[in-house]
Amino acid sequence: MTMAHLSHLTWQSHLRALFAIAKKGWLLFIRYPLNAVFRVLQPLIWLTPIYFLGRSFATEQGNVGFAAYSGTVDYMSFILVGAMISSYISSVFWGMGLSLKNEMDSGVLESNWLAPLPRFIFLIGQTGANLFVTTIVNAGILLLGWLLFGFSITGNLLQALAVVLPLLLALYGFGFGFAAIVFMMRDANTLIDVSDYLVSLFSGSQFPVQVLPRFLLPISLALPLTYGLDAVRGLLINTRTLLPIPVEILILLAFMGVMIPLGYFVFKQVERRSRRLGTIGMH
Amino acid sequence: MHTMTALETTIRPDTVLIRRSVVSELRTLLVMAKKEWIIFTRYPSWIIAFIVWPIIFPLGAIFTAGALSGPNQASLPAFAALAGTVDYIAFIIVGLTMYMWLNITLWDVGFQLRNEQMRGTLESNWLCPTWRFSILLGPSLTKLATSLIFLLLVVVEYQLIFGVGLIQGNLALILLIMLLVIPSIYGIGIAFGSLVIRFKEANAMVFLVRGIFMVFTGSAYPLDVLPAWMQTVAAYLPLTYAIRGIRAVSLAGATFNEVLPDLQMLAMFAVVIPVAGYFIFRFTERRARRSGALGQY
Repeated sequence: MTMAHLSHLTWQSHLRALFAIAKKGWLLFIRYPLNAVFRVLQPLIWLTPIYFLGRSFATEQGNVGFAAYSGTVDYMSFILVGAMISSYISSVFWGMGLSLKNEMDSGVLESNWLAPLPRFIFLIGQTGANLFVTTIVNAGILLLGWLLFGFSITGNLLQALAVVLPLLLALYGFGFGFAAIVFMMRDANTLIDVSDYLVSLFSGSQFPVQVLPRFLLPISLALPLTYGLDAVRGLLINTRTLLPIPVEILILLAFMGVMIPLGYFVFKQVERRSRRLGTIGMH
Repeated sequence: MHTMTALETTIRPDTVLIRRSVVSELRTLLVMAKKEWIIFTRYPSWIIAFIVWPIIFPLGAIFTAGALSGPNQASLPAFAALAGTVDYIAFIIVGLTMYMWLNITLWDVGFQLRNEQMRGTLESNWLCPTWRFSILLGPSLTKLATSLIFLLLVVVEYQLIFGVGLIQGNLALILLIMLLVIPSIYGIGIAFGSLVIRFKEANAMVFLVRGIFMVFTGSAYPLDVLPAWMQTVAAYLPLTYAIRGIRAVSLAGATFNEVLPDLQMLAMFAVVIPVAGYFIFRFTERRARRSGALGQY
């Protein structure tokens, strides 16, 4: 007697599942319209103090002090590019880690985990809506930046976008590792919050990393995201980069190649242990 | 013949089962405060909020200011001309410490009723024969105590790690400024917490309120860089005067007479804002009871 298979797994079914999970995230997002609106406006609230901080250091020739570090007096364009990239960092950190935590709290994680899906589909789908919203927000930042702060692209947009892709993929590897921590810690909100902030800070999203004290600079230089952000700025607004841009792109590609399998491997080990101990559904 | 039950024989129809008094209301306040303290100590994540965040949060603004200043501090005189000091680290830390205090209050006090609503305990608590405001005020007392611990830790941390003395100059004057701003901070928190049980989408409201304070109070930059209309808005925010006063006393050694205008504004806010917060609470609470929104998730 042959065994009947209840599910027929193909790449199309995986893709359908991916979109279904992303759609669920989107529906949850728009269910709270006020929160959604403020999510879009929030970057403006964070950027405005930085703009005025820059104004307080401006001389008649502009931000000459800043230009000595970065190679440009266009301080707001520098900040805007950093803000957009760091918003993607946040969406991956929070999208993967927090979504698992929310599913745990809602009591649906165990049943979802029983679905015949590769786990990475589950994780990637959780970030789908978040990334979509982040892209809309970044488009809004670009528009506001152009209208209010005179943001302009003096470099090559397509080349910069080509660097953003491996940067995002490398971030996903990071995100897999973070999802593993959520499984272990149950309440990882604070850890995700602090880590997200520190990674964005040390990768130079708000300032050229050369300004860091000597004992902190190695942290920044050890983060491949630093080089990704630096390369995107160099290509987009012609800032002075830490290393030649091709070298920075190579570092990013190497990081992507290592981080994705490593992050997923760590996640699978932790998830297997959680299943064995029966702690997946534990609040 | 009807036999009187024990209940009927011991309680007369005109017996008052509840006797409210000042003492009973105070007891309620303390019980609510104690409950909040037990919850606070139950979850050790406060260690991160109180010890780690105060160190890392200002780093973004400090390093950004360092970058703007330049490797040979070519742009620092421009800042000093506006701020009255070249010590941009201390300048930023004073402002961001006050902002962090407000942020903690918005999340703690502001979410007090919303948390009870989500746990499903708000309606039953509301039925208690007690002054309803004590359900919000009691936990606020605990939040005030924990925030004072937070501020003390911040003072020690910034001295040890950044070498910044937040309580330099006239300590009594700084304490007076803090004392005067406390009612305003908590009045804002209470008003906020009341509105949250009506509007439910609390996160968005926190982002809006703290965003307004971050932008308009000069928490990380001198107020003089703001356009005139923004400075007008800043004049209506109590935190503006607290930040300016503490900066003046601790960084420039200002005397009582020099900060007296700020103290007068803070004293006025200390009366107006808590009263406004209470009336907002009464208004939203009455509406929520009438619409049945108290128990709604």
